[in-house]
Amino acid sequence: MTVPVHEYDPQEARSLIEEVSERSGQNLLACYQCRRCAAGCPVAEETEYVTPDRLIRRIALGDREGALTNELVWRCVSCYTCGTRCPNDIQTARITETLKKMAKEAHLEPLRPRIAAFHSAFMASGVRWGRVNEMEFMGIYETKTALESLKRMDLKAVAEELKAQVDFGLAMFKHKRMHMGLQMAKGRKEIHRLKKKAEQRRGK
Amino acid sequence: MDIAYYPGCSLKASSALYDVQSRRVFEALGVHLKEIEDWNCCGATSAGKVDDFLAVAMPARNLGIAEATGLSEMVIPCSACYSRTLVAQAQLEKDADLKEAVNEALAAKVTGGIKVSSILEVLLAVVASGDMKQKIQKDKKILKALKPACYYGCLQTRFPCAVPVPDDVENPQGMEKVLRAIGIQAMDWSYKTDCCGASSAVTDEEAADALMARIVKDAVARGAHCLVVTCPMCQLNLDAQQDRFGPKYGIQKRLPVFFITEILGLAMGMSVEELQIDRHLTDGTQLLKELEWI
Repeated sequence: MTVPVHEYDPQEARSLIEEVSERSGQNLLACYQCRRCAAGCPVAEETEYVTPDRLIRRIALGDREGALTNELVWRCVSCYTCGTRCPNDIQTARITETLKKMAKEAHLEPLRPRIAAFHSAFMASGVRWGRVNEMEFMGIYETKTALESLKRMDLKAVAEELKAQVDFGLAMFKHKRMHMGLQMAKGRKEIHRLKKKAEQRRGK
Repeated sequence: MDIAYYPGCSLKASSALYDVQSRRVFEALGVHLKEIEDWNCCGATSAGKVDDFLAVAMPARNLGIAEATGLSEMVIPCSACYSRTLVAQAQLEKDADLKEAVNEALAAKVTGGIKVSSILEVLLAVVASGDMKQKIQKDKKILKALKPACYYGCLQTRFPCAVPVPDDVENPQGMEKVLRAIGIQAMDWSYKTDCCGASSAVTDEEAADALMARIVKDAVARGAHCLVVTCPMCQLNLDAQQDRFGPKYGIQKRLPVFFITEILGLAMGMSVEELQIDRHLTDGTQLLKELEWI
């Protein structure tokens, strides 16, 4: 993407790049657009040509909306290929992970609600019990996803997802890959304390 | 030799077979796995997308518990748990304030020092000691006839921050070395460190199917009999979704996806039932029969 010169605001650009750099721990200013990251990105074909270099460019230009809402932020698989190959050690997966959190804090609707729902359900289960319960978090994830589709009155999507999940569940069950019991860690109170601490740190 | 062991959530649920195999195989190799007490979820790949403090703090609790055992090394077979724990350890080491904040909430504090190892590092140490070869019971010819493609995925060699990587980043050889030590020659191929899509297999099928198809297509084209993996997420994805992405991408053949512990266990004379290989969604037993492994 390009930004017309008259729309470029150096103050806004600096605040965005500083915020993302600090939170992700990555030195975005070191990017010189060599595009080794783009060449190695396995989901580049799925992200409407938003490759790591272009995402960094958007941030450098202060395009907050474009940085927070694009396919790469949500469809990045955190494979760390870009960062491993970057001559300047910029780990873009840490940038996409940071932008996901920033999008949530800005109350933006996630571009891919299913992906956001999955990670939040996974973490909620891990924190609640101290261990992740696959059946529980997948149940919560599937319910959230179905409700999203219902909001859009997309009954076909609900039916298709339900069928896919039932088929998958049956195959998993048949091969004894489904675990019914509840897993938990006795020390989950410590995890709850850590979660409180995390919330306090985020607030400050 | 005693070694601390962190199984992680998936080895207690959908990949419980990997827990069973790891215990059996290591015990037979003289490595006693001591499961650390009351461990918790490491946060896996989700934590970094939801909260950066918890992404370090959750594995930190396990590190504290592991250090309290007094053992010098902890093995983590799951790639995601291994990566998360290793990265958390490095971040705590680097950031004293973070370490203090985390330790405030922990009963068993992190002080540092325990070595976090992947399953391959521990297996390679057994190979180096010379103890691997003498446990092998299968006939040499039968072992040699197997043509596996070793698949590492992302989290064995690529990390989001600087940690000591025990293998070549772009062309790792750990699995090949372990297999070579028991007389199996793994093939050279192009997709051994490509991503399987991980949780995208559930949340973004289109992207994940394209990734998984590329991997299996190359292995099939090169005449591989099977894939060999160490990561339970890669195993589950490639094992359970082949009938979904295979037809979509014109892949006729189905490849069994074996954990490295299955190949080692079978070579040491363990049965399909002992190793629970019958819990694969893409059947592996037919191939094993054809090659007279069982």
